[in-house]
Amino acid sequence: VHRLRSVDNLFVVVQELKDYQFKENKEDALKDLEDLVKKLPWTDPLKVWELNNSLKKKKTKRKKHNLQSPASREKLSDGGEEGGADQNNTNDQKDCAQNPVAVEPSGGQDTENPRGVASRNGVEEEEDNEQSDVKVEAQASSERGTKTGDGQTGEGEAKVLRFRVTCNRAGDKHSFTSNEAARDFGGAVQEHFQWKADMTNFDVEVLLNIHNNEVVVGIALTEESLHRRNITHFGPTTLRSTLAYGMLRLCDPQPTDIIVDPMCGTGAIPIEGAAEWPYCYHIAGDNSPQAVKRAANNICSLLRKNESKDSSTALGVPLDIIQWDICNLPLRTGSVDIVVTDMPFGKRIGSKKKNWDLYPACLMEMGRICTPGTGRAVLLTQDKKCFAKALSRVGHIWRRAQTVWVNVGGLHAAVYLLRRTSERAEERRPFW
Amino acid sequence: MKLLTHNLLSSHVPGLRPGGGFPLRIEAAEVRVRPVPFNAAFVSRLVPRLRWEALREAAESLGRPSELPPEPLPDYEADEEFLRRLHHVLLEVEVLEGSLQCPDSGRRFPISRGVPNMLLSEDQ
Repeated sequence: VHRLRSVDNLFVVVQELKDYQFKENKEDALKDLEDLVKKLPWTDPLKVWELNNSLKKKKTKRKKHNLQSPASREKLSDGGEEGGADQNNTNDQKDCAQNPVAVEPSGGQDTENPRGVASRNGVEEEEDNEQSDVKVEAQASSERGTKTGDGQTGEGEAKVLRFRVTCNRAGDKHSFTSNEAARDFGGAVQEHFQWKADMTNFDVEVLLNIHNNEVVVGIALTEESLHRRNITHFGPTTLRSTLAYGMLRLCDPQPTDIIVDPMCGTGAIPIEGAAEWPYCYHIAGDNSPQAVKRAANNICSLLRKNESKDSSTALGVPLDIIQWDICNLPLRTGSVDIVVTDMPFGKRIGSKKKNWDLYPACLMEMGRICTPGTGRAVLLTQDKKCFAKALSRVGHIWRRAQTVWVNVGGLHAAVYLLRRTSERAEERRPFW
Repeated sequence: MKLLTHNLLSSHVPGLRPGGGFPLRIEAAEVRVRPVPFNAAFVSRLVPRLRWEALREAAESLGRPSELPPEPLPDYEADEEFLRRLHHVLLEVEVLEGSLQCPDSGRRFPISRGVPNMLLSEDQ
């Protein structure tokens, strides 16, 4: 499950309360939350959390595991398949905090990009507590003790864990703030478990996600949101890698496809593309010298991650960057299979007014460089009105195939999948 | 800039005759070779899309002996040695510094740290 590429945060759900009625009064509401702590089924989720921890640390604590009895080692390897993400996987679970490098694409169990789910962190993945795993865990738990970071072989008793509570709250009608909720919920957790509260050096992160009348209590399995993988140098509007992944999946890249992002900014989309679809060729372009520089730096970081242990040279990636003007692309007509890009919303970059001219010009050029018949484009924008108008003017080269609604930093944006018609474009459109 | 990219690039200086912007002439000051994992199917499927002559010229202009035949060999899909040589030329040779020159207009586009700058200035 850790290998899912379109997921931002992973947590195990302790309880999901669909229609939670908050008391009007702040004190009462908070007291209710505190009482909730005692009533929640903590045991199973905590076991999942422990299991997850030991998997994460497996790479660094390899020696320790070898000392374990064969029974528990097997159990760990079963746990590795628990998420069902990829049945072919080896037991190398890389530490999440280090941002897993290009792994084989996740198999059957994938989550699509957020479809109309207005959540704060992109997609939230719920992990099911499978009965069989819990049973196996119960057997081995006394042997394993607690495998939290410091590597003490436990005596089978829970040692004092450090925890923190993070509260994400959305909605108008609550009488309390997220800080208050986190604080009081945390107090109750501390009393219930006798854990030690620590905001920075914690073992367990308890999540209290409140969205209007829905409350979800969970335990985090990922240490930091996975949306920043692959990118080290950020720009003003860097796209989350998870969203970039979703967009790329939407255009269904085939091996050997040539994929261009003509407004790449920091290169989030082409870099995600080169990491996950190495049998396609990715070209990134932008008119801004800062963007080009950042993209180049991000590629360097990616290459450094790819360095094999044997040789000192990093292996190259099928990716190139060019500085160009989207309205006048220096590419041969019909030479490209896919165009994927995050169009300027007109908020932080450009302006709505500029978009009226920019969007149609973009669509024309993208249409020209794309292969008639088989070409496609996946375009993200918040300026939906302008986009729709521009699209209506280029109906002879682009047909809208699908629209996916997404929430980008609180903005209601859309991802449009377009298919290139069979009509050939002119070699060079007339000078604007 | 890799040679596969170069094969797709065409000058867009206004007023050129159709096809007049291709291929761009490479003037390389610094070239780097960096291994890239080889995939036979990938390379073989690219062959029909490449402008072969332009690729050969590009390889020659980089001072590399032309490892490529005048035309793709018949049955190239099965010829691994040929595919490997093609893979090398397309993906493993990069121009880091130099420039690209438009064949018709003579206009030059600089390449710096592997990135070609194809922006036209305001007055063009």
